[in-house]
Amino acid sequence: MSLPNLHGRAAWVFEEDNFDIDLIIGIKNIKLTDLEELAAVTMTSQDPDFRQLVRRGDLLIGGQNFGYGHPHYPAMKAMRYLGIAGVVAESFSPGFFRGEISMGFPLMTCPGIRAMVSRWDELQVDWEAHTVRNLSRAGQSLPFEPLSNSERGMLESGGFIPYLKARLAAAGPGSAATGASKA
Amino acid sequence: MGQTITEKILARCCGRDTVRPGDEILAKPDFVIAYDFPGYTDVFFREAKEEFGVDKVVKPERFVLFIDHMVPATSPKEEELHKVTRKWGAEQGVPVHEREGIGHQVSAELGYSTPGAFAVHFDGHVSQLGAFGTLAIGARKGVLEAFVSEDMAIKVPATVKIEISGTLQPGVMARDVFHHLVRVMGPSSCRFKVVELCGPTIDAMSIEGRQTICGQAMFLGATTAIVAPDAKTLAYMKGRSKIELDPVYSDADAEYDQIVRVDVSGLEPIVVAPPSPANTRDLSEYVGLEVHTGYLGSCASGRLEDLRAAAAVLKGRRIKPGFQLHVVPTSQAIMSTAATEGLITILVDAGAFISSSSCDYCYGRIATMSDGQRAVSTGTLNTPGRMGSPDSEIFICNAAVVAASALEGCIADPRPYLAAAASNAAAA
Repeated sequence: MSLPNLHGRAAWVFEEDNFDIDLIIGIKNIKLTDLEELAAVTMTSQDPDFRQLVRRGDLLIGGQNFGYGHPHYPAMKAMRYLGIAGVVAESFSPGFFRGEISMGFPLMTCPGIRAMVSRWDELQVDWEAHTVRNLSRAGQSLPFEPLSNSERGMLESGGFIPYLKARLAAAGPGSAATGASKA
Repeated sequence: MGQTITEKILARCCGRDTVRPGDEILAKPDFVIAYDFPGYTDVFFREAKEEFGVDKVVKPERFVLFIDHMVPATSPKEEELHKVTRKWGAEQGVPVHEREGIGHQVSAELGYSTPGAFAVHFDGHVSQLGAFGTLAIGARKGVLEAFVSEDMAIKVPATVKIEISGTLQPGVMARDVFHHLVRVMGPSSCRFKVVELCGPTIDAMSIEGRQTICGQAMFLGATTAIVAPDAKTLAYMKGRSKIELDPVYSDADAEYDQIVRVDVSGLEPIVVAPPSPANTRDLSEYVGLEVHTGYLGSCASGRLEDLRAAAAVLKGRRIKPGFQLHVVPTSQAIMSTAATEGLITILVDAGAFISSSSCDYCYGRIATMSDGQRAVSTGTLNTPGRMGSPDSEIFICNAAVVAASALEGCIADPRPYLAAAASNAAAA
């Protein structure tokens, strides 16, 4: 299976290292579940017009250790709802990385990205070449780190649940891998 | 070539002789641990059944659930979540421990920290079971895999060995050691790695101190942390371990991603200022800053040595009028011992508000701060808004600093109080 290349603008460049993604919606909103309510509070402290400006397929750019702290799911749920297709960062905090890859949300670890991208630059993520290209800067490009097989599998399947279903089905009913008893 | 503790544990759990960092394996966790929280356990229960058709988990004796958040409940909806958890536990034959303390601590008290075991949770602070030589990993929502399959897919992490030497000065505690590691190594220095802690300081450190350090591993970027079991560990686990396993140790020729040596002999107390655990500062930079509330508790601190340190500072004194000092022992067992030792009396007489064990103070569900308030806290995290208003601030520090700050109403150095306590004790 192959992944469709991503093509979108840099909707925001997070300049901070160790950025706590809960601040995207504000900690007081991390229990919200309604996507409209979440969208209404997304990025309001960074750019109140974010919601109006962002387009489907746009990407976020992060710094070092993006997702540090106790990352909760609603911030990226809101981002996906607004059309964000993935995050390219210098590096990711492991908890955030695992959690969002398992949502089927592309995360590209790409050292040097922040210096190569300004807000609204047009970017392309190429899964074959493993590069992020900046089409607004004469096609400058940087490699991103390959995903493990299971991480890539989760993106291809559209998330952890379909991926796990496929893994268990491949292992076959009653196998040690399936394990759990069914009624 | 030799293997690390982590590699040996994962090799056993995937039925191989050896594994190497980067290997993608299917490993069988020995323990599956969770606390009930909306969007996690309730969703796992439902998805296991509806998406995967799993009515009964395999080997329910591997599972344990805790009710430690939203305790006590403040709304029918919260209590409803707890009811769902109790019902699921009863149907599955999975124990549900409620109101016994913070699950990461009670897990150890109950013996789900067998040296050499592999444990999973959704919450990364489970890494504190590493204090016992257990490999304990927080997989976030990925822990659903353990509810529907005996195996979990995992990529074998590399290990960073941190050798710590030096004797801690009075007033300097295990959590200062952790914050110092973040300061000297960096908050992303151990990303996706396991931190293996060793050296004379760790050898001399109490089990509680090791729990404190291992439990914060995520703030070094680490997947988890682990300490080789020693005589102290084995004595603690004797008669307690849920399963029988031979403890495992790293081989002398094990391969490490990095070996870091840190000397803590001159270390001073640390304050972690807003906005993140990466912002480690010397206490001296903040002495005198007005603070309004103090929290001594959480899965990171709130154990006996923390309560003893606070009691040493507060004995025979009164906290500043108007200051709110919340003391929340990490478990009911710790509360009971603290009462027997007389610590609770000392703390109450000093003006502390003592609560039974609960996670709720750490994230502002109770004792919520309003705009402009500042806390000194032994909690896990200081992101703005975590303990209330987005315009309130959290300064993380050790238990003795919280106690001294409660006396003065501003961030304060506990060492003069501790020195006075030591000389009083010597005179007595």
